[in-house]
Amino acid sequence: MSEITEHVKNKSLELLLEEATLNGAARILRYPKSRFFGYFCSYFPEELILAAGLEPLRLLPDTGNSTPAELPAYCCSLAKGTLDMEIRGKWQDLAGIGFTHTCDTMQCLSGIWAASGHSKTIDIVPPVMLNTSGASRYYLAEMHSLLNSLMALTQNKINKEALQDALKLCTYTRKLATELDALRPDLPSQMVSSLMRAGQVMPRLDYSQALEKCLPALKEMAEPNQHRLKVLISGAVVENDSLFAMIEDLGGRVVADDTCTGYRHYSGPTVMEAEDPLVDIVRRYTEMPPCPCKNRSLNERMAYLNDLAHQRQVKCAIIVIRKYCDPHAWDAVALSESFRNSGIRTLTLELEGADVGGQERTRLQAFLESMKADSEL
Amino acid sequence: MAKRNYRPLASVKALQKTMGRYYALTNYHRYWGKPFRRPLAWVTSGAPVELLRSFKIHSAYPEQYAAIYSARNTTVALCEIADSAGYSQDLCSYARSNIGGVLRPDLAPLGGMPKPDLLVACNNICGTVLKWYEALARHFNIPLLVLDTPYLTDEMTQQAKDYVLEQLYAMAVDLEKITGRPFNEKNLAKQMRQSAEITSLWKETRQYCQANPSPLNAPDLFIHMAPIVVLRGSQEGIDYYRKLKAEVKERVALGQGAVENERIRLVWDNIAIWPQLFTFYKMFADKGACFVSDTYSGGWASLQSPGTPMESLATTYTEVFLNRSPEFRANQLINLIRDYKADGFVMHSNRSCKPYSLVQEVIRKKVMRETGVPGLMIEADMADLRAYAEEPVRNRVQAFLETFD
Ligand code: SF4
Ligand code: SF4
Repeated sequence: MSEITEHVKNKSLELLLEEATLNGAARILRYPKSRFFGYFCSYFPEELILAAGLEPLRLLPDTGNSTPAELPAYCCSLAKGTLDMEIRGKWQDLAGIGFTHTCDTMQCLSGIWAASGHSKTIDIVPPVMLNTSGASRYYLAEMHSLLNSLMALTQNKINKEALQDALKLCTYTRKLATELDALRPDLPSQMVSSLMRAGQVMPRLDYSQALEKCLPALKEMAEPNQHRLKVLISGAVVENDSLFAMIEDLGGRVVADDTCTGYRHYSGPTVMEAEDPLVDIVRRYTEMPPCPCKNRSLNERMAYLNDLAHQRQVKCAIIVIRKYCDPHAWDAVALSESFRNSGIRTLTLELEGADVGGQERTRLQAFLESMKADSEL
Repeated sequence: MAKRNYRPLASVKALQKTMGRYYALTNYHRYWGKPFRRPLAWVTSGAPVELLRSFKIHSAYPEQYAAIYSARNTTVALCEIADSAGYSQDLCSYARSNIGGVLRPDLAPLGGMPKPDLLVACNNICGTVLKWYEALARHFNIPLLVLDTPYLTDEMTQQAKDYVLEQLYAMAVDLEKITGRPFNEKNLAKQMRQSAEITSLWKETRQYCQANPSPLNAPDLFIHMAPIVVLRGSQEGIDYYRKLKAEVKERVALGQGAVENERIRLVWDNIAIWPQLFTFYKMFADKGACFVSDTYSGGWASLQSPGTPMESLATTYTEVFLNRSPEFRANQLINLIRDYKADGFVMHSNRSCKPYSLVQEVIRKKVMRETGVPGLMIEADMADLRAYAEEPVRNRVQAFLETFD
């Protein structure tokens, strides 16, 4: 990444790339005035954390092979790694940690954390069937409960104005992230991946200001991609850029991204219409492109990803599955079949964490080369 | 031949008859389903079958079939079929063997499951069932009805109750369309009454195991839970549990234990290790250790919640133990240990079932702290034998049992 920053000499860009490398590790030093609140999942409404006067920090594991005694080996490294960090006291400064019920692992982790961690925990249980009868009413009630929990945690009232301000900031950040996403075909994959992740591990206002400042430079940097293979990537949390860098190294370019830490985190409509800002917030989280833990209708996720692939003229997709991540492993089967039916070749990569090594390189290389060979025919 | 340290139940015959009839009916559904306008649903073990029964829907349980596949040692072959269709080896082995059986019914015992007309899943037991049933819905191209029961981090909330209730009413409308029969609350109330009766019988039968020696051991509980899973709400189920209860009661009166010379009383946590049902538990029985209760088959012994039939369904199915916090589940285990005067407990860390297993270590610590009894953790899988390492398991069990000498 350093060659990129040197090349650009843009302070805001440098800041964002640094933040992405740190993944929040230097938060106390860099942002002594901010109080962070940890969360795991894009379904945890950042708007409420911000309205509570806290900074949302996505908790990411610092290594891919922790083995805390509280979890068995057959559990994903996101849960194991972050719990291990809790036990090592890495999250002590946080005001609390928020769990969203998504997968079975997260459901279990919330209880385990409450029993064995030091941090205060808060839960929200959104509906799984986002479009079913009563789901939005239930979701709104859960949102109100979450608001109450956050008020109890901070001992401060959260008023409508604070919610609206938070909503505005999130809307603006999402707009900027959407602009960045549109530049993907013409920018190095690992850089965009970093920039997307930075917005989840640093104070949000600083992020949006920095991103806004560096967008013109990024546009300038953008070089129309003529020869790189266009790749779509789908998966859960990807805590570093190692895979993106390898794809780039092997002649690919990630032009469409559906990872939890990537563009999916920002995508979907944001509305500001209702009298109660929580109604708008519920709408956004209901309508954002679903992850495999949620259902809006049987094939909506597959249709969305096929559309995305079509829009970005993608001919190959990489599905990343974190070892022991059930929801993504399930969807990988139907997703690769639906891609196949649309003429998109798919590689499913199972990774322990986010790091890729020699084995993945060999598979990726073979995959991308076969694609290249096909397109040259 | 090794001495058998185990007292068989006479009710096994009645069980075979009851279940045999159920399987025959299910497997020949294609002959009678249409003429009687009784669709076949594949349902999860935690689905509100009373509602389906009130619409005269016949239910078949992929999880139950998967347990049979496993007891008949076909799980591995069927999982391999699913593996090669792209399903990761780390997914639940019930789900994978079911999918294997769908793709290759010729390899499955009983010729696989009969083809369903609809699918009904309730996520009160896990998130896996949603993904599994989505895969089935795509394969068969039939309706999938899902009841979303929010996970309870603490007690039941009003919003969760209202949400589940609203979905149940919507499900009734869907079922009206699918079956062409109107929803009839009286029918549902009748099913609920029968279901309550069967649950009480199962609960009372289990409570006899508080006696010393215990009249039943874990394999008895696992085998005899089959009707409460598949025949909940039926008269056949009630008739069967009446017989079982009478036999167990008599055992207690005669002071007969399931295990000869019972000297160690244990509680079991998690799904049975089906392919090792007799060999595994025999290691314990041989040393006079009896599993007097368990959390798994006990999951079907929870009494119905009050309210109208629909309200009761909503609460009962949302409050199932797998949908509750580790705190709740630890207390449940503590109560079992106290009520059944157990000397220890064994947890099956079941790699297939994450919601059951991931929280077990935290529960184990709490239960040991609060009851003072030891708890052993065994790593295995409920159906896939490949996850069972015989020697290490044997050594751990022996060392554990020696602590009681
Ligand atoms: S969705 Fe997958 S990666 Fe994320 S917490 Fe759940 S199991 Fe782990
Ligand atoms: S065994 Fe566990 S994961 Fe599998 S279907 Fe049952 S509850 Fe779900």
